[in-house]
Amino acid sequence: MEACQRRFTARGLVAYNGSMLRAMLTVPVLAIVAQAASDGDFFETKIRPILVSRCHACHTKTMMGGLRLDSREALVRGGKSGAAVIAGKPSGSLLIQAVQRTHARLKMPPTGALPKEEVDLLVEWVARGAVWPGTAQAPAAGGHEFWSFQPLRKPEAAAVGGIDSFVEAKWKQAGLRPAPAADRRTLIRRVSLDLTGLPPTPEQVEAFVTDRSADAFAKVVDRLLESPHYGERWGRYWLDLARYSDGLLAAGVDTPLPNAYRYRDWVVNAFNRDLPYDLFVKAQIAADLLPEADRHDLRPGLGFQAIARNADDQVDVTTKVFLGLTVGCAQCHDHKYDPIPTKDYYSLLGIFRSSAKDQYALVSPEQVELYERRKKEADDRKERIADFLKDQQSHLVDTLARRTADYMVAAWKGAEASGKLDAETLARWKRYLSDPDKEHPYMKPWFALMATHPSEEQVRAEAEKFQKFFLQLIDDAKEVDDKNYVAFGGRKGMKDEKTRQYTNIVSLPVLKFYQWRELAAEPYRKDGVDWPGGVYYYSAKEMDRWLNGFARDYVETLRAEVKAIETEMGPAYPFLHTLKEGDQPRDVRVAIRGDGKNLGEEAPRRFLTALCEGEPEPITKGSGRMELAEAIARSPLAARVMVNRVWQHHFGHGIVRSASNFGQMGERPTHPELLEYLAWRFQESGWSLKALHREMLLSRTYQLSSRTDAASNEKDPDNKLLWRGHVQHRLDLEALRDSMLAVSGELDSTVGGKPSPIGDSNFRRSLYLTVSRTRLDGTMVLFDFPDPNATAEDRAVTAGPLQGLFFLNSPFVASRAEALGKRLAKEAGEDAAARIRRAYGLLLARGPDAEELKLGMDYVAAGGAKLWQQYLQALLASGEFTSVN
Amino acid sequence: MLDRRTFLQGLGGGFGLVGLQGELAGASMDPLAVRQPHFPAKAKHVIFLFLNGGISHVDTFDPKPALVKHDGEPMPGSKIKTDRASGNLMRSPWEFRNHGQSGTEVSEIFPEVARRIDDFCVIRSMYTDSGNHGPSLQLMNCGHQLPGRPSMGAWITYGLGSENRNLPGFVVLCPGFPVLGSSLWSAGYMPSVYGGVHIQNSAVEPEKLIPNLRNSQQLSAAEQKRQLGLLERLNGKYLSRVGEQPQLESAVQSMEAAFRLQAEATDAFDIRKEPDHVRARYDISDFGRGCLLALRLVERGVRAVQVFYGNGQPWDNHDDIRVHASLAKKTDGAIGALVDDLKSRGLFEETLILVGSEFGRTPMIQNSGLEKLGQGRDHNTPGFTMLMAGGGVKGGMTYGATDDFGFKAVEKRTHVHDVHATALHLLGFDHTKLTYRHAGRDFRLTDVHGNVVRDILA
Repeated sequence: MEACQRRFTARGLVAYNGSMLRAMLTVPVLAIVAQAASDGDFFETKIRPILVSRCHACHTKTMMGGLRLDSREALVRGGKSGAAVIAGKPSGSLLIQAVQRTHARLKMPPTGALPKEEVDLLVEWVARGAVWPGTAQAPAAGGHEFWSFQPLRKPEAAAVGGIDSFVEAKWKQAGLRPAPAADRRTLIRRVSLDLTGLPPTPEQVEAFVTDRSADAFAKVVDRLLESPHYGERWGRYWLDLARYSDGLLAAGVDTPLPNAYRYRDWVVNAFNRDLPYDLFVKAQIAADLLPEADRHDLRPGLGFQAIARNADDQVDVTTKVFLGLTVGCAQCHDHKYDPIPTKDYYSLLGIFRSSAKDQYALVSPEQVELYERRKKEADDRKERIADFLKDQQSHLVDTLARRTADYMVAAWKGAEASGKLDAETLARWKRYLSDPDKEHPYMKPWFALMATHPSEEQVRAEAEKFQKFFLQLIDDAKEVDDKNYVAFGGRKGMKDEKTRQYTNIVSLPVLKFYQWRELAAEPYRKDGVDWPGGVYYYSAKEMDRWLNGFARDYVETLRAEVKAIETEMGPAYPFLHTLKEGDQPRDVRVAIRGDGKNLGEEAPRRFLTALCEGEPEPITKGSGRMELAEAIARSPLAARVMVNRVWQHHFGHGIVRSASNFGQMGERPTHPELLEYLAWRFQESGWSLKALHREMLLSRTYQLSSRTDAASNEKDPDNKLLWRGHVQHRLDLEALRDSMLAVSGELDSTVGGKPSPIGDSNFRRSLYLTVSRTRLDGTMVLFDFPDPNATAEDRAVTAGPLQGLFFLNSPFVASRAEALGKRLAKEAGEDAAARIRRAYGLLLARGPDAEELKLGMDYVAAGGAKLWQQYLQALLASGEFTSVN
Repeated sequence: MLDRRTFLQGLGGGFGLVGLQGELAGASMDPLAVRQPHFPAKAKHVIFLFLNGGISHVDTFDPKPALVKHDGEPMPGSKIKTDRASGNLMRSPWEFRNHGQSGTEVSEIFPEVARRIDDFCVIRSMYTDSGNHGPSLQLMNCGHQLPGRPSMGAWITYGLGSENRNLPGFVVLCPGFPVLGSSLWSAGYMPSVYGGVHIQNSAVEPEKLIPNLRNSQQLSAAEQKRQLGLLERLNGKYLSRVGEQPQLESAVQSMEAAFRLQAEATDAFDIRKEPDHVRARYDISDFGRGCLLALRLVERGVRAVQVFYGNGQPWDNHDDIRVHASLAKKTDGAIGALVDDLKSRGLFEETLILVGSEFGRTPMIQNSGLEKLGQGRDHNTPGFTMLMAGGGVKGGMTYGATDDFGFKAVEKRTHVHDVHATALHLLGFDHTKLTYRHAGRDFRLTDVHGNVVRDILA
């Protein structure tokens, strides 16, 4: 049924109108097809799109004028003014009168008349009986009764068996035979990678294998949960959700968020110290508004909001991540499936619009002030240097231009520089005159003369003429600059995008401009132009040799001052990317169909109506982020969504497989009672994630072997009922790269700090690789790192030949194999068999069997580091090392 | 993680498509396996030549005599709001002439395209939604103004798989990065194999284009084969121990494929293997060489190739529209050569070619203080031109029209979504049925929009 619905939903023009389609599926398929061929198709292809795009913004759940236009019943029932449609009678139907604008009062849509074709279609539709295939109402079970909106239920007494009792009950029901328990080596490798993203050391494996105590596995789990690497692994899952990035999407490269990593480190630390999840949530919405005592500790959590694109992104990501609700869908229309009216979207938007991004300094205000003052002092001096040099550059052009004729004649003669002529400038002239292909006519006489074998006299005369013309051109250009300077109110920086001036400018005629540019302009490399700079142009760096003693002294003194100030000033002070309360908190108006120029009623700042008993309280003081944070943390969805995310990463799939969508269109839980049980326990435990991990990992279900079984596989190929352990076919980017560095003994396990790009000399955990929204690293993409422009609830895991190339050919894998070889030589001595055993222990938590040992021995039999490296590279590329089972 | 069901459903799409679902059910989990579209396709490949920055339509493919007549005068009617301060109307510095049997007018700066204009459908009635590069690029490339959605190339590769498993399904060529960079060829919420593999084609040596193409340890082929043999033995043992694991198998197979890729890609990506007389016509710019690379890739079964003109936004000539002439010089001949060579290699009929940019440029001078020189044109979103050619496109026609000055599309208005819908149609897809389920919703390239432009179908 679900599968059918999916295929079916794609059919209509409106991809997400599933409720109607669901309803349609309850009638015999043949009937639909027959009907669809005529009126039904007409409705779907012609009429529904009009209703959706023109009417639904105001006439579904919002019910302006008391009217809904999303079902035939609603149309016939009508609104305050009466029935909207009388089937078969266009002229008597209010809907038609309103769109034809013949009704005295009702003229719809209010934004302007519909195109005639659309009006005609509506008329035709009503005349043909206003056929509306199926019974298409808003989701019948879409209200507050929907399962995920219900309050959490205390588990029944039957739950004493914990997780396993729920899972076993399903096995029984489905007649599934569970897989046997995984062996200890498999288990410790699985749990180590699960909790820390790193394989266990051979010593840890042996300790567990030989531990005969009843709580041997519990000890392993506790040790791993106490490891700082636990937070690095689970923090990264969270960062996928938070669309974490070290910069914001921008034109060329990211706009840097130089301190975003402080948010990343805070997340890692929150997992490591088992910060209660409700506080973890609140911190990422309203840390600045929490009780004073908590603020210091939790403020970095606001990075979640500060790395947002804008307030719309904040609404979308906040609701998806914490509530598993797609509130973003309600930006332009009422949510098609969930009880989320457009107005709710704008209620939340108002909350975020009433807040502002902020930088929270981590040093005293005095230090900030001192730094800013010093910076200004340095910047002022830099500007003075730049202004002075710019002036000098302009004088230099003026000066050199007065020798233009001399340069041209000398260039013509092929002479060396002498007298008043500068060697480099002459060389430039020679180059310039060697190419007669110019984009303007002003050099034409010169080049025409050249073709006639002229005398020096003639050449000089032509050069003098050109010099006169060019000196005039310089004056014209200056006049243009002066006029623009005045037009800009005496401001500098005409081309400075930051000043965003829209004053009309004057400019030289374009062809004259080209001539001027060729001799005088600074370099210009933009928009398809690659202009290296004019003949007389010398850059600020090249100016030194043209300056006299006084001028040079002036520049050098200023430069020395800048250097001194900058030394004293030190590096930029650290700060947090956060949010603060806006200056004037206020409600925003509903943008009809998401159009900011077409505003409807005001949406009071408040929580989602579907998650409140009765009307939610409007917020009148402050932005409302504190109230929002509290409401989210209190919501039953917060607990359900998070336990499901934890389950998803331990078991491969969530109990609800659509981890960020707990709405109508999301999946239903495979084990609803289990989800309730876990959510309840989570809350009861004081929101402890570590307790949650412990409970899941110590279950029998987690510890099952991943071996498949033909009979069970037949019944449940997707392992929905958890009859076997989860097989992940390839480690994700982080676990893969970190495991390689770990087994080769090269991993730098420092926790936290600034990001650094992937590269040959970067041995830090992958969590600390620079994440860019504009230029995401190709190797990271190759191994399925998610697009950080959007929240990612899950990693796709793909394989392909480019990944194969990475394993077979990349310097990264080769270097790890080389380092691993050295490590083995050190730790296992000269004996090849001992080395191979050690390698298996490090990489696979087991020893080689006889065949594997022989394969290895044969491979390296000829001896030498090179063969060892090839052998070990194959082990690093092997399916067993690169996956977990 | 990609599960089988999710994977198959979106592709199934076809209500009433007998057989497709069954065929898919038997298909492997291989996300790039070749798949049949909803209905027989006209085109099998797409080459999207992207003139990033915004090519001016009134200077290239949409002649406006009224601009000559009213050069230097204000545009009649109420003052039009453009992105930045706009001045008076400005005629094109270039002449237009009729070309081909169709008599389509083309500007003198595109003589080679003009000679082949009967192969092109010139859509003169394009319009888009945002006057900023970012959102507009995102819309043209991914069907939505916001980042995070899969690109058109990703949708096509998702829909059809790839014919050559030794090469990526979707290749993006750009020396440097266009504005917004990787988000323009992202796989979005789809598995990343569908996303574009970005290749900085400022070099010509394949090993400089494709990371890890050469073994970093300079192993000989024999040494590599021996290593691969070992790897296969080890993996074989592992697979037999853990039992049937299709996903694991595909990861294992990727090693074998990688080995083959070394030879295949070295050949495919090496334009020096083309004879001199072929190469010469493309050897005018990185973009030109990118066109030749696109030809070689399509020839080898790559599904989608996108060639960006260059780093940043070269066609964004705000202050001097005459720069278009030098850009066209580095573009025109290569487009012409690509059409010829696709034809001579029998690929023209099965390759859809798109030429365009994120928007057009104003018929008025841009005259704001952001620029040094008031001789350029600002962004124009209400009207611009795109070219289509090849698989299933009716050549030698113009479609739609802008107003007298080229400001706004007025006849047969064609939105970006309509181009996407048409491209998917030519590839055999009903754009309303090619869906991908993500976060509980069936997503489409065209969102809830898009109409196939039927008049331009051959």
